[in-house]
Amino acid sequence: MTSRHVVLAAALLSVPALLLASLALGDQTVSRADLESLVDGSATEQIRMIVLDLRLPRALMALTAGMALGIAGAIAQAVMRNPLAEPGILGINAGAALAGGLVIVGLKGAGATLLPVAGFAGATLMAAAVFALSWRNGTSSLRIVLIGIALGSLAGAGSSFLIAFSDVADVQRLMIWLSGSVYAASWETLRLLAGWLVVPVALAGLAFRQLDLMRFGDDIAASLGQRVNLGRAFLILLCTAISGATVAACGLIGFIGLIAPHVARKMVGAGHARMIPASALVGGLLVMAADLIGRTVIAPAQLPAGIVTALIGAPFLGYLLWGRRHAAQ
Amino acid sequence: MTERHADPLRALGLAILLCVCILVAALAIGAGTSRLSLMTICEAIFAFDGSRDHLVVTMLRLPRVLAGAMAGAALAVAGAVMQAATGNPLASPGLLGINAGGAFAVVAAMALQMTGSMSDGNGLIWYAFGGAAIAGFAVHALGSLGPGGPTSLKLVLAGAVIGTFLTSLTAAILIFDQATLDAVRLWTVGSLSGRTMGQVVAVAPYIVTGLAAALLLRRQFTTLSLGSDISGALGQSTLLWRTISVVIVVLLAGSAVALAGPVGFVGLVMPHIARLTVGADYRWIVPYSAIGGALLLVIADMIGRGLFANQDFPVGVTMALIGAPFFLWLARYRLRSS
Repeated sequence: MTSRHVVLAAALLSVPALLLASLALGDQTVSRADLESLVDGSATEQIRMIVLDLRLPRALMALTAGMALGIAGAIAQAVMRNPLAEPGILGINAGAALAGGLVIVGLKGAGATLLPVAGFAGATLMAAAVFALSWRNGTSSLRIVLIGIALGSLAGAGSSFLIAFSDVADVQRLMIWLSGSVYAASWETLRLLAGWLVVPVALAGLAFRQLDLMRFGDDIAASLGQRVNLGRAFLILLCTAISGATVAACGLIGFIGLIAPHVARKMVGAGHARMIPASALVGGLLVMAADLIGRTVIAPAQLPAGIVTALIGAPFLGYLLWGRRHAAQ
Repeated sequence: MTERHADPLRALGLAILLCVCILVAALAIGAGTSRLSLMTICEAIFAFDGSRDHLVVTMLRLPRVLAGAMAGAALAVAGAVMQAATGNPLASPGLLGINAGGAFAVVAAMALQMTGSMSDGNGLIWYAFGGAAIAGFAVHALGSLGPGGPTSLKLVLAGAVIGTFLTSLTAAILIFDQATLDAVRLWTVGSLSGRTMGQVVAVAPYIVTGLAAALLLRRQFTTLSLGSDISGALGQSTLLWRTISVVIVVLLAGSAVALAGPVGFVGLVMPHIARLTVGADYRWIVPYSAIGGALLLVIADMIGRGLFANQDFPVGVTMALIGAPFFLWLARYRLRSS
């Protein structure tokens, strides 16, 4: 148990540490004295702009998006009862990718401002279609999974078509957007995302009992008094709202929703009261670290956070799954 | 329908499906810019005389249709084996990192200019096969190591992790290298254009071996699919049979990726279609998947060539456009509420 506490404490302490590093590191390194000058108000205009207007919203955006995706992933795995489930299973990623691709290819450069709207619309439309087609005298986890595969493949075929036949510069732009990044973070987009997320995230935190029951399977959950279909619909709605908003703000950061819940389960066990906050913590840390690495390691070029997330997240999860001595499964 | 009546019915269905598949393959060889009769095709294969029509059959159409049929059968059977070995309906050959490994090897070779171009297909298929095989065995090793032994959770997680890792590396290369992106993008969505008889013959032994092994061992896959508790109680060694499954999947899906590019749909969906049609018995799922997968890929390629009049139309796209609505219907109306 103590090793668990150590890991948890380390994770919690990493948040402010990473935040400070994100503020200090970059094309222009900001010294400790400069950071302190921000606090007492004597900072120069340039430092103020770099730290407060560029780096701080970007780091906070990465943190917020990562936390949201961690929570959405935890919900998806409980609802589908499948360790490979992630919000993408609801067709969210495929729908957003197709909508984003259509906007990029159809409107060329003019579409940049429309991308968030298109991403959100594509994600929610797909999730709604998956759920609607799965409904037949109620739903079942397996049917949602299979319908999600079918509709996801259809939308994926559309995206593949765009990738194969559009102008190669557009395809490259699409790939960057699909990789998921926080380049475009500003206080305004951060406020929008955070404002949108408050209610669904709070509800997800309150729904931990429903999620615990759901894991046991429909029959047991129903006999323990859960209204299974209603609960599932509600949780899918939450998951869609959370990950759809994140897709709109940052594009597709795919790995977090799958991996953060597994890491969290290793850290605090399977009960959702503790697992959901832990999953949010892991997701936030991963995306923040990924963005920091992506914009410093090969500077002045930048790697999208979504790509680096997988590059650092994969070894991290490998360590947790294979390096530690308790076989929880 | 009782079990005793069900088996002859399933065998009949399989025979009909096989006949349909052969018929469609013949149609696919005949269809195209120059239409060829069944007679011409037979003569070209059995009494080759070097005429233009015969050359079209042996040099262009036949390799393409054979490549499609073999890749489709291989991917579908590999998917069925994966779903049996992991007990997860989301499992597909791609989950062993096969597609990601093949794509990464090809893209890396192109970016480092180790292979001339995409038209240098012979070098390419070995990069794809090698990348797929290495990724597959790495996933298996990672999924079997560590405390607790080889659980399916660890296998699928290892697959997801390594797959995403390699996909991200590939994306990182493509984002900065527009020339490589332009050269490989058609291949990455799955394409049968430009396959030669030499490539088909080079890959065929692996696919035939894999298919034969999967068909011979299909009874064991049924046991494996019951989960490690039950299969262990029935005397089956989980580690041994999962290793055998991985070898079969790497042989099949690795060759398919080499032939047709990293196409995802057929390996994931065809086993489900077979299961929804003939029930959860792998003795039937494996052969139905094989023929169904071949049929789907050949039809998809024929439609891509015919309807869109484009030799390069990616078969991955047409396949999903044809297969997904059918699968949607099956999942909605045939899936019994459990």
